[in-house]
Amino acid sequence: MAHRETNGSKLFITVLCMVAACSAVPINDLLDRASQRSDMLHSLSTTLTKDLSNHVPPVGWTMMPRPPLCHTSSLQTPNDKEQALQLSESDLMSLARSLLQAWQDPLVDLSNSANSLLHPSQSSISNKIRELQEHSKSLGDGLDILSGKMGPAAQAISSLPYRGSNDIGEDNISKLTNFHFLLSCFRRDSHKIDSFLKVLRCRAAKVQPEMC
Amino acid sequence: MKKVLEVILLLLLLVVTHAKGTRYSPPGKPALTRCRSPEKETFTCWWEPGSDGGLPTTYALYYRKESSDTVFECPDYRTAGENSCFFNKNDTSIWVNYNITVVATNALGRTFSDPVDIDVVYIVKPNPPEQVAVTVMEDKGWPFIRVSWEPPHKADTRSGWITLIYEIRVKLEEENDWEMHLAGQQKMFNIFSLRSGGKYLVQVRCKPDHGYWSEWSPSSYVKVPDYFHREKSVWILITVFCAFIFLILTWLLHMNSRSLKHFLLPPVPGPKIKGFDKQLLKNGKSEEVFSALVATDFPPKSSNYEDLLVEYLEVYIPEEQELMLEKSMDLDVGCLKCEGSASDSDSGRGSCDSHTLLMHKCDGVKEEEERQAKEAHGPGYWECGLSNKQPHLLHPQAQAQRQLQARSDDNISSIGRKQTPAGLHSPARRSTEYVEVERVNEEDMVLLQPVSGRCGDVEGYPEMPYGEDYSKVKGVDMDNMLLLQREVREETENCDTSSTVTTTQKPAACIHSAMPVEGEMVLGVNGYVDTATVCTPPTY
Repeated sequence: MAHRETNGSKLFITVLCMVAACSAVPINDLLDRASQRSDMLHSLSTTLTKDLSNHVPPVGWTMMPRPPLCHTSSLQTPNDKEQALQLSESDLMSLARSLLQAWQDPLVDLSNSANSLLHPSQSSISNKIRELQEHSKSLGDGLDILSGKMGPAAQAISSLPYRGSNDIGEDNISKLTNFHFLLSCFRRDSHKIDSFLKVLRCRAAKVQPEMC
Repeated sequence: MKKVLEVILLLLLLVVTHAKGTRYSPPGKPALTRCRSPEKETFTCWWEPGSDGGLPTTYALYYRKESSDTVFECPDYRTAGENSCFFNKNDTSIWVNYNITVVATNALGRTFSDPVDIDVVYIVKPNPPEQVAVTVMEDKGWPFIRVSWEPPHKADTRSGWITLIYEIRVKLEEENDWEMHLAGQQKMFNIFSLRSGGKYLVQVRCKPDHGYWSEWSPSSYVKVPDYFHREKSVWILITVFCAFIFLILTWLLHMNSRSLKHFLLPPVPGPKIKGFDKQLLKNGKSEEVFSALVATDFPPKSSNYEDLLVEYLEVYIPEEQELMLEKSMDLDVGCLKCEGSASDSDSGRGSCDSHTLLMHKCDGVKEEEERQAKEAHGPGYWECGLSNKQPHLLHPQAQAQRQLQARSDDNISSIGRKQTPAGLHSPARRSTEYVEVERVNEEDMVLLQPVSGRCGDVEGYPEMPYGEDYSKVKGVDMDNMLLLQREVREETENCDTSSTVTTTQKPAACIHSAMPVEGEMVLGVNGYVDTATVCTPPTY
């Protein structure tokens, strides 16, 4: 009996310590850091698409009868401000995490195909894609911690399957076109993540209006 | 006829139209210039019309949303002005690709513009910041400008839908260069380092996190008050400069203070009068102190003034004695030297030429010398080597002879001056001396003759001349007569061959002038008197 009690008390103390340690950094600060990282992610993707379209205009795209949909389009995201602001914090966090999770594999594919891409600024493109991967990973880790504090609803992730490298064609033109297409999808999704996190940040920082 | 008229009219119309030169054509290709959204909720697109082809042309904007084939036409052509299309909130969807095309239509045809794909979230350009307030504030006497503003009222920053960052630019009214400041997300900014009395222009603009910069807000004017008088600054500079110079002068004065003191207040020279002798004062005998001040030999009675100037007394020393003397050479010479006082040449000591002082000094020092060991004294001592020589320093033989020599010389010199210096008393005390009466001159003075001259060489053993030629003078009676003493002597050592009186009898002829005064005394008859001297006429 005494042995169990000591064990129980030890566990209780450790849990208390962990909670205290985890709550040492306030959510405001965590959200601020996360939104800064997502901002950087989006900026990087924007420059990447611009670099890509500078030299090779996406001619292939207009030829298509209908531009294809991004693989994340199945996820229901708000289309305007009212819809976005009506979402709860947990929903916003869940959406952000789902989107981020959905791009882990495609980024790997992009990184692989960037090495064999025929483009004047191919080296800088492949470097930036690697950066994208790193930022995406660190943001994912941060969001995992955040969602852990926000409750179980925030931790729900919708899985968005990625079909793989079948979409990327053989010849260079189609390669470039698909590359461009994927990057534009990623640009949009990174913007969504950024917007959601900034809304969350503003909501959490009621005491500090200058955050918004 | 009518048909011909109609044909002619149509032909005329055609000709007229051709003559005017106008050509109708389908409209030129319009182009979408830009689309902007001020708050991420609505957006507007503007296009540039092409040539109208001479005919009234209408423009229409059609758009298609992503993943939908439905073509919509622009809902609002007016709100945003000419050649524009305004999409309100209901028609605006974000994160959706719009494919927009403008169509120009006139009587002759239609022309489509190039399609443009836009996503509303990427075309955000907010309105400029509003309520820009510029005030001058003070921080410890130094003024600064505080700029504050509000975000454009349309942009919803409170909910976090739009995140804006701001930028401020400032410039002086008369200048062209702007000073840029990035303010981040804050709505207030301070500007420092202002020119006194300057007039400034301030402008603010904003930008969403991923979008375009807004236009600059209208200029706000502000005047900075004069906080630094130029005149004051000149006076401050002058004061600092003067203080600096003053410090340098003070330092220079301090460095040269000693020479300056000598220049302004020269030192008082010491007295040139001999004054009190410190040694005598220490001894405590007031009589000696005062007697030292008395200069008995002043004014000098001697007719031979040249003798007063004599510095040296020449001493004849035989060669045998020179070696002995070398031991104490400095002692000999030292006596005659002046005491060299290195400190001041202006001292009131008596000159070295004074004979009196020489003797006096020699007396005073003699006692000291007796106490001291046989060492060479320093130049500070008065030493007398001639007249008063310490007997223990020299060989007794040489010493006596030397003394004799010195004294005889002294006697000569003293006789010549007819003085009675104190120094001569000592030789008289020491040993009996005999003098030979040479003659008596007109002034009733007895001229004496030294013994050595008569005897010739005195190199042998010096002996007191007890010769029979000489009579001892017993005394002088009141009639100024020499009373000679009668003596009976056996030995007769005569140096001269002058008449030697061995018998008690003497011719009285020579002595008849001498009158007996007392019975016990026999005047010269029975005594011995040198005939040579007796035969001179008596004094009276």
